[in-house]
Amino acid sequence: MPLFKPEHRQLLKMLHPAREEEVSDVLSGLAAFMEEKISPLSPKFDSLAEKITSARKSLLENGICLIPYPSRYGGLELPFSAYTTAIELAGAADASVALSVAIHNTVADGIFLFGNEAQKKTYLPGIISGKKLASFSLTEPASGSDAKAVRTKARRVGMEYVLNGTKMFITNAGEADLYFVLGATEKGPSSFIVEKSAPGLEFGEDLPKLGMRGSRTSELRLTDCRISAENLVGREGEGFEQVKTMLNSSRIVMGALCVGVAQVAYEKAVTYSKERKAFGGRISDFQLTREKVADMVTGISAARLLCLYASRLKEMGLEFSSEASQAKVFATETSVRVCDQVIQIFGGLGYTSEDVHRHWRDARLLTIGEGTSEVLRMLIASRELAKSL
Amino acid sequence: MSTFDKNAVEESVRLKESSSGSVTIITVGRSDAKKTVKEALAMGGDRGYLVVSAEPDPHDSLTTAYLLARAIERAGPFDLVLCAEGSSDVYAGQVGPMLSEWLALPFLGYVRKVEIKDRVIRCEQTLEESVRVLEAELPALVSVMSEINEPRYPTLLQIMQASKKPIEEVGSELLIDGRAPPRLVTTVGMTAHAMSRKRVIFEGSPEATSRKLVEALRSEGVLKR
Amino acid sequence: MNSVAREVATAGRELAESLSGEQLFVVTERSRAGEGAGKVLLVDGGEEVEGDPDLIAEALARAATKKRPSAILVGATRTGRIVAARLAAKLRLGCLSDVYRLRLQGTSIVGDRDVFAGKVVAEVKADLPCVATVKVGTYPMMSEGRTGLEVEEVGSLHRGVRLVETLEKRESTTDLRGASVIVSAGRGFRTKEDLRLAEDLAKALGGALGCSRPLSSDYGWLPEELHIGLTGVTVKPSLYFALGISGQLQHVAGIKESKVIAAVNTDRDAPIFQVADYGIVGDLYQVVPAILEILKG
Repeated sequence: MPLFKPEHRQLLKMLHPAREEEVSDVLSGLAAFMEEKISPLSPKFDSLAEKITSARKSLLENGICLIPYPSRYGGLELPFSAYTTAIELAGAADASVALSVAIHNTVADGIFLFGNEAQKKTYLPGIISGKKLASFSLTEPASGSDAKAVRTKARRVGMEYVLNGTKMFITNAGEADLYFVLGATEKGPSSFIVEKSAPGLEFGEDLPKLGMRGSRTSELRLTDCRISAENLVGREGEGFEQVKTMLNSSRIVMGALCVGVAQVAYEKAVTYSKERKAFGGRISDFQLTREKVADMVTGISAARLLCLYASRLKEMGLEFSSEASQAKVFATETSVRVCDQVIQIFGGLGYTSEDVHRHWRDARLLTIGEGTSEVLRMLIASRELAKSL
Repeated sequence: MSTFDKNAVEESVRLKESSSGSVTIITVGRSDAKKTVKEALAMGGDRGYLVVSAEPDPHDSLTTAYLLARAIERAGPFDLVLCAEGSSDVYAGQVGPMLSEWLALPFLGYVRKVEIKDRVIRCEQTLEESVRVLEAELPALVSVMSEINEPRYPTLLQIMQASKKPIEEVGSELLIDGRAPPRLVTTVGMTAHAMSRKRVIFEGSPEATSRKLVEALRSEGVLKR
Repeated sequence: MNSVAREVATAGRELAESLSGEQLFVVTERSRAGEGAGKVLLVDGGEEVEGDPDLIAEALARAATKKRPSAILVGATRTGRIVAARLAAKLRLGCLSDVYRLRLQGTSIVGDRDVFAGKVVAEVKADLPCVATVKVGTYPMMSEGRTGLEVEEVGSLHRGVRLVETLEKRESTTDLRGASVIVSAGRGFRTKEDLRLAEDLAKALGGALGCSRPLSSDYGWLPEELHIGLTGVTVKPSLYFALGISGQLQHVAGIKESKVIAAVNTDRDAPIFQVADYGIVGDLYQVVPAILEILKG
């Protein structure tokens, strides 16, 4: 089944009627590329028979990260919802590649929004064109979603900063050329751009994971890691707000990624249910299977729409952090549920085929990463309760 | 765009990139064929020319070749015309040679390699029993095999830039002149090829599945022993 | 006369029975037409014409203008297709390509041809006089014989395309079209040496070796005449064994007439399983040795 569907076309037309043709041309070109070059390799990435390195590079070079950026950086200047949809399609092609690319682009976003001219000039073109890979290094052994409690220290020494600390569960660690690191200075959490070659920077072993196996996840160890003071992003103490902003957008995108994973798993289940016979009929004839089909597609549609809604609010310059969190919570949890039901529909074959259960294993990360569902629910609730209704 | 056509577009873009010049993409089709022309422009074509024709008969290659010849005459001077070895739907491979006849060009068909030097084109032609090296003076017409190259995937930026490249659309009626051939070939009907296969699938260990397969083939009577 | 020409001669003879007037049979090399083929004209353009489609077309056009045939039939080899198309354009005649089951309908010729990579059969019609290329392997070959030929000589011809050299003249060692068992190899094979497995299976089954297009055209592991598919050979064996072949339409177009199709592929979703009677989802590197064991014992 093609990745870029009439439903996507329709939704993007509703959101951006004037740019419909452009957006559709770009996304269907991207989809055609991924269908040929990424999707067929998915089982090999999951079984670790092949690394995602060259597929990811060619996807980045094809221009997926350029979608929302201004043309002066080589970007396509398309609306953010086009990028959200692009990552949904990437998630359907291969979840690990999509995750790696989305995390990479979060860093591009951070440098774009908060970097000074020199930093943007030095780093941005390389990152968004895919020549350099980036990694977003926030999480620590003792602080995941609790970013304020960052323990990594950053000490100003002359024209340099010296960083000490450990980052955990970092996607693209070891492979990336650049690391966007949150460290605590005297004035509070601050963001730094750390190049791979910086002295005192080490990486741990690739962690074995339940899913998203194509994507490399490991520790970052900063031991008196010295970087130029010019690599401070913005000012000391602004790190927490910066990261919050970056996470808002990234949460929408992670939700969309999960919608893609759910979509591809769902299609496999539907095809299978129409072929598989049992008890004198196809299993798609049975009511309980039909209930599952209805619930899955409804969940996927709703999740997709929440992600696009949050995207549209962002495009319009409106406050969108609660909607982004809602989209992420709903889309990731729905995706896990859908992928779980897909295994159920496949029965024994589902439990024993990587091709089926990998989608659940891939989706399962995202109710945890980029803000656990629990933390995001707290954010959503406190915002609601702060409103005067 | 069929993969066969993509090979022709790719080769023309490569030839342009290795020397200089421009690539014009020409097609005959309904007005929605504009989308295909855009794809070709994204791959590196410079401008497009669409001859809009309501439902041309896919087997009437003579008329298609005539319309293409007229379009090429209008599109301006050229050195080389490239086309696919055949279309992906009817795969007749007639339009190329017919077009070369209309334009009075030497025709080099079923080509797997193209080189141009000093206005001479040199090609490797694959026939069933041999590979021949052919030469002709430009202008010429070449039909390319899919082995000749791996068509590129345009980047998203190239796709967006393609929207800005000019595409001229001309109704086929405007091109028809006294030389137009009569419509001599028609498709009378189409029937789906009935292919009912057993589609029995064996899964399991190599030993178990191969045993079942051999048994099945024996009972079909297709094994000699 | 080569085998293709002999098939075309048969096609022509069938039509000749309903046609009045002369027909021209094209042979793509200088040789004689078969006995009982009706009124046959051998067009002699001299030695240089040999295998050169432009020259053959021009020679034919000159002869046709003089003799006014009802139909001109050419074997649908690559050269034949070029000849027929140029000829049709020169003479402003309709051209049917890769057709079989040719029959006369009033003042037209009707034929069948495979379209959409073999999924659909189209019936096509051309007004007489017309040109047609006859699909290879769809007519029985006319037996060799001698006949009193009327030879038509044509003057010197203009060469637009020069033949510089012929690189490989591959000897046709197997004719897959007659094989009753074919074992076919696809991209599931990792190296050329591994094709040994396919060869062994072919030998064990008393059959011939074939392949999908990538192995002959892209990798060059096997000669072009073993390539089975839309742009290659069409086969109709009793047993077609597809090893490591995904089952793209272009390949399936060449095997539809097989009595039984068996396939081995690691990908459960490979399209080949939609067109196979029996399929094994598995690694050919393990399955084929297992099959060979069973056939031995």
